[in-house]
Amino acid sequence: MLDLHLEATINGRKVSRPAKPDQRLLDFLRDDLNLTGNKEGCGAGECGTCSVFVDGVLMKSCLLPVAKAQGAKIETIESLARTGELNVLQRAFHQAGASQCGYCIPGMVMAATAALRANPFADREEIKERLGGNICRCTGYQKIVDAVEMARDVQNGRLPASVFAEVDAEAGDYIGKTVRRIDAPSKVSGRLKYAGDMTMPDMLHVQVLRSPHAHARIVSIDASAAEAMEGVEGVITSADVPGEDGFGVFVNDQPIMARGKVRYVGEAVAAVAAEDLITAKRALAAIKVEYEQFAPVFDQQEAMRAGAPVVHDYAPDNVTKHIPIRVGDVDKGFAESDLVVEETYSTQAIEHAYLEPEAGLAYVDPDGVVTVLSPSQNITHHRHMLARIIAKPVSKVRFIMSPVGGGFGGKEDMIYQGMLALLAMKTGRPVRLVFTREESIAATAKRHPSRTTLRMGLMRDGRINALHMTMICDGGAYGLSTEGVMRKAAILAAGPYLIANVRVDTYGVYTNNTPSGAFRSFGALQTEFATESHLDICAERLGLDPFEIRRINAMRDGAVTHTGQTLGSVSLLRCLEAAEKASGWEAGAPTARGATRRDLNRADTRPPVSLGARFGAVEKQEAAE
Amino acid sequence: MARKRGRGMAACWYGIARTATVDRAAAWAEIDDGGSAKVVTGVTEIGEGILTVLAQIAAHEMGVKPEHVTIGDNDTARSPEAAHAGASRQTYMIGNVVALASREARGRLAQVMADVWDVDVETIGTGNGEIWAKDSNHRISIGEAVSIAKNRGVVPVGSASFGTDATGLDPVDGSGRPWQAYVFGTQVAEVEVDTVTGEVQVLGIWAAHDVGRAVNPQGVEGQIEGGIVQALGQALMEDYQLKDGHTTTSGFAKYILPTSLDVPRINSIIIEDPDPLGPLGVKGIGEPAMVPTIPAIMNAIYDAVGVRITSLPATPEKVLMAIRDKERREADMVQAAE
Repeated sequence: MLDLHLEATINGRKVSRPAKPDQRLLDFLRDDLNLTGNKEGCGAGECGTCSVFVDGVLMKSCLLPVAKAQGAKIETIESLARTGELNVLQRAFHQAGASQCGYCIPGMVMAATAALRANPFADREEIKERLGGNICRCTGYQKIVDAVEMARDVQNGRLPASVFAEVDAEAGDYIGKTVRRIDAPSKVSGRLKYAGDMTMPDMLHVQVLRSPHAHARIVSIDASAAEAMEGVEGVITSADVPGEDGFGVFVNDQPIMARGKVRYVGEAVAAVAAEDLITAKRALAAIKVEYEQFAPVFDQQEAMRAGAPVVHDYAPDNVTKHIPIRVGDVDKGFAESDLVVEETYSTQAIEHAYLEPEAGLAYVDPDGVVTVLSPSQNITHHRHMLARIIAKPVSKVRFIMSPVGGGFGGKEDMIYQGMLALLAMKTGRPVRLVFTREESIAATAKRHPSRTTLRMGLMRDGRINALHMTMICDGGAYGLSTEGVMRKAAILAAGPYLIANVRVDTYGVYTNNTPSGAFRSFGALQTEFATESHLDICAERLGLDPFEIRRINAMRDGAVTHTGQTLGSVSLLRCLEAAEKASGWEAGAPTARGATRRDLNRADTRPPVSLGARFGAVEKQEAAE
Repeated sequence: MARKRGRGMAACWYGIARTATVDRAAAWAEIDDGGSAKVVTGVTEIGEGILTVLAQIAAHEMGVKPEHVTIGDNDTARSPEAAHAGASRQTYMIGNVVALASREARGRLAQVMADVWDVDVETIGTGNGEIWAKDSNHRISIGEAVSIAKNRGVVPVGSASFGTDATGLDPVDGSGRPWQAYVFGTQVAEVEVDTVTGEVQVLGIWAAHDVGRAVNPQGVEGQIEGGIVQALGQALMEDYQLKDGHTTTSGFAKYILPTSLDVPRINSIIIEDPDPLGPLGVKGIGEPAMVPTIPAIMNAIYDAVGVRITSLPATPEKVLMAIRDKERREADMVQAAE
């Protein structure tokens, strides 16, 4: 490909050097200039983490061919704190606690800079609208907007710079104090290196061949053409696994790469390490895989029926895990109840959508230790599993946890680290894999979709007499955390309420869908959604206030849980009271009484959004002037 | 009136640390030259703020300032096991074990100074970079004390392990003790439903959560706010879809996430019911923060427009269809009555 000679001013410095015309501006900045502060989150202009200024205009650098930077003035996140000292906006982000994982923050700081440049007096709602093109998955945005307001007020002299002072802890009592995050300066400045920002000398680039089929036998894999390509240093398949293959959190049912058959679309089948990314991608296209398709099963209830396609031979009924909870006699409980209410609930699959796509490096160190650096949420367990899989003692396997750009449970699975280790061993060189957003979405675990039937029996005075819940979850093609999710879901299903008769069954079921796994709130989100929705339905039928029905049934100090555990102090009543009081809740049965409520629209809510209304007002005002 | 408001609430409970199994973590601590400190433990930041929490705990326990605490890289070959970053366990497991290791390191230093000053070790106080003996004029910097200790052949180090008491569940009736620490919470949601488009906006959330003891209140708020907005995404818009096993929501153009314009004003109320079993009284907040949000929003939608959404997400299409169904049913009833 013909090289381009790029001349631009980048962060105040003249840059004159060759660039590849197929590069995006983001690649040029990150790969060629090592300006890794601005990140790639989606590669499609949707998330904003790659935002930079081009001639003063905020642009998403993942959408710009590098040639667009010819003669332009580019500012990246690194331009804001060049001497190492944070600017006002960065200090405000630090002070307000606006960064969590930090991966979106460089882009967010750039967008906030643009917002205050466009309108130094922007109000809260306008700031929110101007940050609308930048996604953050950790913070809920509130402290980010707080930070921009703080910076605006300091810049305008409405707040003194002393707001940036560190907390004063008398006599060294630091517990209970809002000490500023010690990792925030590295995040608001873009200095922190995530795995995808790191390189090693002589490093190879890894790409993964993924299954196009949901359920198929692998008849043959022919990688000879790929292996023969110039620049290709190694190709691996399940045949390259030296030890006992299989990883998982509770059951080791997932091979590093598909072994014998594929069970979901996106499953790894082979991987390539090459001198550069393009060669690795070309090599993938040269690998020939012959499949014989099997009948797939995509629905958890269909998968449980006799005769359904079997996803794993060890589980002929496709049930990954069933967890029962039994207390008392639910039939008797329902018979004795004044009111019995039944309803079904369902929840969907959810993507973790951490802004940092999976990435990792692996190398074999001079002592023969196979080392994997990645944003893994569970390096301890991964080390154990990898040692078994590559047939080495645990002392010869080392995992390093790089800064995690959002996890939420989605980085607990050893979904790619095994391939990196095998390629580092096979090539004898450092290797790196960075997922695209599409790859991250297609190949990694989701929150378990659920279908729940809930039956509750109550007495006229509001006491819950019996609860019967059955939840069937789509666990997808591999076990991952399904067993644990079903367990937590079942234990917490009946809520923090004293109920004499409880019957709960949770089932995680194999299908040929994307695997489900660990996700923040781990099964409890699904079961408690059903129980807490149901309590309001029952409260309406009984004419009880929602707080009241919960107080009537609330576990108190010394309560015995549905698993027979005796609790000590129980803070539920305190939480109910605090939320009721803070919200100024107007008591009453939940009879769809919104129209007559007098507790709405308080100062501690936000105004509803009418998109563009404010910008329209500004333009009209400008036109009038 | 095309836009209708309503409120709903929901409560929750949650277990802290690994479920239905013992949990464990270890840490090393050292009061270092110049009044600084080192902490090494095998797990790190996933965004929740654990590094800051650990620095606060170490500073509090070893008498130094948080900015002078260095936390070592998490590395299976260079640091003691702390297991995984999840299960709302970091403050509980790692926070408590860092406190224990720090106390041991501090004890070594305190003993040296008690010997030097010829006072009872119980009278030694530490904080903010200083060490002193109560009811005396003895007061020097931690840095000086470390130097004195090292000249006497003592390096002030500590190590600790912290484990939980829990059991598995009985395979037939599920009985067992899955956790030693439980938390509770309650949230109220206020929504506005556009009855023309079906769009739901969440305008306010009041969230009261027991965290045991808040090491860093701003960090706790951050967890509550972030958890609520993730739950809001599941409640109203996010939906990973598959067709014949192939995803049709392969990027953020199709997989819709909450932006700054979708989020409510979140009012956090921190409840502290200290855990009696750990050395610090802390519990956790990462996961429980998002448990009551979805039912609180669904209950609020019902309050506003009288439709009960039981199948997530409550997209504008779904809410609108439910409103139209309800209007049709009501019209039919009126007609039947006439």
